[in-house]
Amino acid sequence: MKIKDWILERFPIDYNRIVEVTEKAFIKEPIPLHYKKWFFATGGAPLILIMFQIITGIFLMFYYVPSTEMAYESVRHITEEVRFGFWIRGIHKWGSNLLVISLLLHMTRVFFTRAYRRPRELNWIIGLMLLGLSLGLSLTGYSLIQNQVSYWATTIGTNSMGAIPLIGDSLLTFLRGGEEVTGNTLTRFFTFHVTLLPPLLILLIVVHIFILRLHGMAELEGRESEGTYAFYPEHFFKVVIMTFFILAVLSTLSVILPPGIGEPADPSVTPSIIKPEWYFFLVYIALKIMPMNIGMSVLMMLGVVMVFWPFIDEFFVKKMPKVRLHYFVGTIAILTFLVITLWEILV
Amino acid sequence: MTKTEDKKSPPSRRKFIMSSIAAVGGVALGGLLFLRDSLLFLIPGGKQQEFTKYLVAKVDEIPIGKAKEITIANKPVFIIRLPEGYKVYSGICTHLGCIVKWKEKEKKFYCPCHKGYFGQDGKVLAGPPPRPLDEFKVEVENSLVFIWIKKRRGGQLS
Repeated sequence: MKIKDWILERFPIDYNRIVEVTEKAFIKEPIPLHYKKWFFATGGAPLILIMFQIITGIFLMFYYVPSTEMAYESVRHITEEVRFGFWIRGIHKWGSNLLVISLLLHMTRVFFTRAYRRPRELNWIIGLMLLGLSLGLSLTGYSLIQNQVSYWATTIGTNSMGAIPLIGDSLLTFLRGGEEVTGNTLTRFFTFHVTLLPPLLILLIVVHIFILRLHGMAELEGRESEGTYAFYPEHFFKVVIMTFFILAVLSTLSVILPPGIGEPADPSVTPSIIKPEWYFFLVYIALKIMPMNIGMSVLMMLGVVMVFWPFIDEFFVKKMPKVRLHYFVGTIAILTFLVITLWEILV
Repeated sequence: MTKTEDKKSPPSRRKFIMSSIAAVGGVALGGLLFLRDSLLFLIPGGKQQEFTKYLVAKVDEIPIGKAKEITIANKPVFIIRLPEGYKVYSGICTHLGCIVKWKEKEKKFYCPCHKGYFGQDGKVLAGPPPRPLDEFKVEVENSLVFIWIKKRRGGQLS
């Protein structure tokens, strides 16, 4: 152990203490038995996917050029000419889709088991912020391709931000870097996508996991004394299996459904059929069937209810202990989301 | 250091509070200024208005009931000839900024993004747009159709 001693002499940390803490916090972390079921491991999936997003994102930056003249061409170059370019881009693209899906599954699990209940309300809210950041990363991400969907999604997205009372106009100009969607908008979205949002995402993930570890994994209501098992080895290898499984799924998707590039952005023609990515269909429908102010207000109200849901739920649990309100609300929310999303995909 | 300096009486309470306020206030003011200037840097400003007269069509070029689409400074503009005269609209949907299409058979403008419809008078017929299409002031002079365009910063037109 000469090397270890050499390093410890020059980097004098309390090695044993670190081992002790790691053991307590990770390796021997007690996990309630019901987490052996796969559905309860959905929180790990987003983390793994984000890891893949970071790696493939860095790879893509080696070739991507964030300028109006070169963006589309560089994405085409990556997809069609760079060795394994379609694969890396495919993983990044499908990874973003799976990330949203896995976040929704994770939220569903947390919601139906009421894992957000006291004292974990704050972690639910941080989770929602992570969902918001992921959606922000998705939108800024697909705007970078500079195809028709990018251009019009950016136009519509920033315009709907402009409808927010008081700050709307300034926000719009800030996001676009001017009054119109131009090259400034592209470099801004690039900056958001690669330098501002990812560190924020990582920071919030650290806080999310830190709070999780401090409380310990949530127990099932009514099964508080079911017993536990240690993180290592069983749960650890579950994560490893999940990582390889996700990589296999992403690879398969990139090969079977390779990422397309679409038509280059044309500010003078809006395509006859134009829709956002599927995870924005709820917003899309709201803006389609309602006047903008009402649509935006409804969406914002929905956001507020989601943020405060743990407190709302607790209030109703105290008032009416026999009614399992979250089952109704959750079921309605999921059905609405599925119906709207499938409707827009099929119609 | 001499001993007399060491034994200097502490500043009075009033003086201490005043200088604390001055120090904290100064730093806060500096911080606010920094914040304001950063925001100003990030949000491009400056506004001035000028109007330009722009030739868009010849009088006999468009038959009654038909429309012509042209591009002015990368922005689509529709010139439509109605029995009562010419109307010129911006092709930018008033909802969220997509570009409308003229449907000649239905005599309607259609926005593909959220299914908004506008009539040939520019008014909203269906869908979510909050207001009619933006209209330009038209002037017919020597068999030529002109519109008046407001010039914005950077030569952009609206």
